[in-house]
Amino acid sequence: MKIAGILTAFIRRDFLIEVSYRTSFILQLFGIFFLIIIWKFISGVINPEADTPGLEGVDYFSYVVLGLAFFHYLSATITAFSSKVRNEQMTGTLEAMLVTPTSAGTVVLGSSLWIFLRTTITVVGYLAVGFLFGVGLHPEGLLSGLLVLIMTVLAFSGIGILSVSFVLYLKQGDPITLLVANISALLGGVFYPPESMYPWVARLSAFLPITHALRAFRRVLLQGSGLASILPELAALAAFTAVLLPLGILAFRIAVRKARQEGSLIQY
Amino acid sequence: MSSVVRTDSLSKVYIKRRSLREMALHPFAPAERITALHDVSLEVRRGEIFGLLGPNGAGKTTLLKILACLVLPTRGRALVDGADVGEADRRVKQSIGFVTSDERSFYWRLTGRENLEFFARLYGLGRVDGHRRTSELIGDMELGEVADRQFMSYSSGMKQRMSIARALLHDPPILCLDEPTRSLDPIAAKHLRSFVARRLHGQAGKTILLATHNLQEAEEMCARLAVLERGRVLRQGTIAEVTSGLPGRDVYLLVIRGLDAIPRDARWSGQVERSEAGAIRFEVRVDRGGEALSDLFRTILAGGASIAACTRREPSLQDVFDLMESTGGSGAPA
Repeated sequence: MKIAGILTAFIRRDFLIEVSYRTSFILQLFGIFFLIIIWKFISGVINPEADTPGLEGVDYFSYVVLGLAFFHYLSATITAFSSKVRNEQMTGTLEAMLVTPTSAGTVVLGSSLWIFLRTTITVVGYLAVGFLFGVGLHPEGLLSGLLVLIMTVLAFSGIGILSVSFVLYLKQGDPITLLVANISALLGGVFYPPESMYPWVARLSAFLPITHALRAFRRVLLQGSGLASILPELAALAAFTAVLLPLGILAFRIAVRKARQEGSLIQY
Repeated sequence: MSSVVRTDSLSKVYIKRRSLREMALHPFAPAERITALHDVSLEVRRGEIFGLLGPNGAGKTTLLKILACLVLPTRGRALVDGADVGEADRRVKQSIGFVTSDERSFYWRLTGRENLEFFARLYGLGRVDGHRRTSELIGDMELGEVADRQFMSYSSGMKQRMSIARALLHDPPILCLDEPTRSLDPIAAKHLRSFVARRLHGQAGKTILLATHNLQEAEEMCARLAVLERGRVLRQGTIAEVTSGLPGRDVYLLVIRGLDAIPRDARWSGQVERSEAGAIRFEVRVDRGGEALSDLFRTILAGGASIAACTRREPSLQDVFDLMESTGGSGAPA
């Protein structure tokens, strides 16, 4: 109960800071609007057949809008932890939080919650604007989509926590975020199906959580498929979570201890 | 009187990270080690103001950060209210309030009240208790008029009072103040010192650990103190204990009639401090012990002059600092 209160306090804090910058969120929504229009026209030019391998019968515009929306979500999940901690280190507020009895883990989790919440709103914005421009969404897939979202967030949080460990210990040059985000964009089926790449590259995409997450999202939200059709993807996401989350938490504990030993916990 | 903070042979050695270039050029060279604290043993008694006095780089902040569980010691141990900082950091943090001099440690776009309410939750207070405690502290710190303004609009004095308010949110018995008056003007600094001594120490009965390099501040506020230099405790105790037995010379203020200059001698040196009506006031440094003082008086009187007044100036913390400077930090025994 106390943890819930603390996490709510973090969300309230970041909400108040966000609304103090009156126009930033509105401008971000405008950005989404323009991005969707641009992709609408690009899709018109590319216009691949719906039976192109990997598209699974979905039109390209719907395919790429969903890819963009959830890639945005996944990038935020990976970067939320490290970017917030780095920001708090640089503004000097991390020290003030770490001298309280609240654990470092709760501080990191709480600091990133607002990013998750704001990104969820942004993703809804992507889907809503996409819907206006012709993305065929299946509302019956929303609940299954939510389940996929939770599994995806858990799997990617492991990577996010791993990256914050780098930030706490190395202070800069968090290689995890950069590597995972770029490889995910390249191989994970965000802009094009992995099947359209060289076969050996396509096989590599199976080792990325985003590939499974996007495939599952597209099936439930764009095709209206049931849970049974995405069980392999859910199993893959669960496997990623089982490996990445404990690994991230272990790395985080080691990083905090090392940083306390070196006296660099609040340095940047 | 029981001790609330105790350190036993506490040491902290930082190992400087090497750059990639250094590692490539000198792959087998050992990493540079910086000793921030060396065998520091102290005891802070319940309800006292204890000073950590020393120049920049003496190890004061490292010591406070160890007590606040931000840094782990390399050797030795530190106990806060009976809890070991390396093993029971949650208990330690409940007992201690840490006041940093860093003005940036708040959210500048939030109001003072919003900031305190947020930190109150981190200190484990519920929503209602957090609101109540925040309002109490805003009143105590005389921040009522500005509490609902953005933190960025506060003066340095207000920011420092906010920092103290935050450290008091969970009503800890011990407060660690890290150079709290560093960025304040003399008037604001005086008010803050008075507030700490009168309200926090006098009325609320807090134990206060004050790190400062300000001698006047230490003399004015601290019942006992430790003088730190390059990570070592040179002296500790009351101000009288710290300044007693300093090697070197005693200082006397002499008002003499009929003399323009102090006669030369290897055992003393004197200089005119100011002229008074018909007399000159000298500050004279005389070798401690032996016959030097008697011989000085005899020499002055033999020259036909008369001594109208003689006052011995008590050694001050400045003398301890002067000694540290003259001996490179090694001359004053602990």
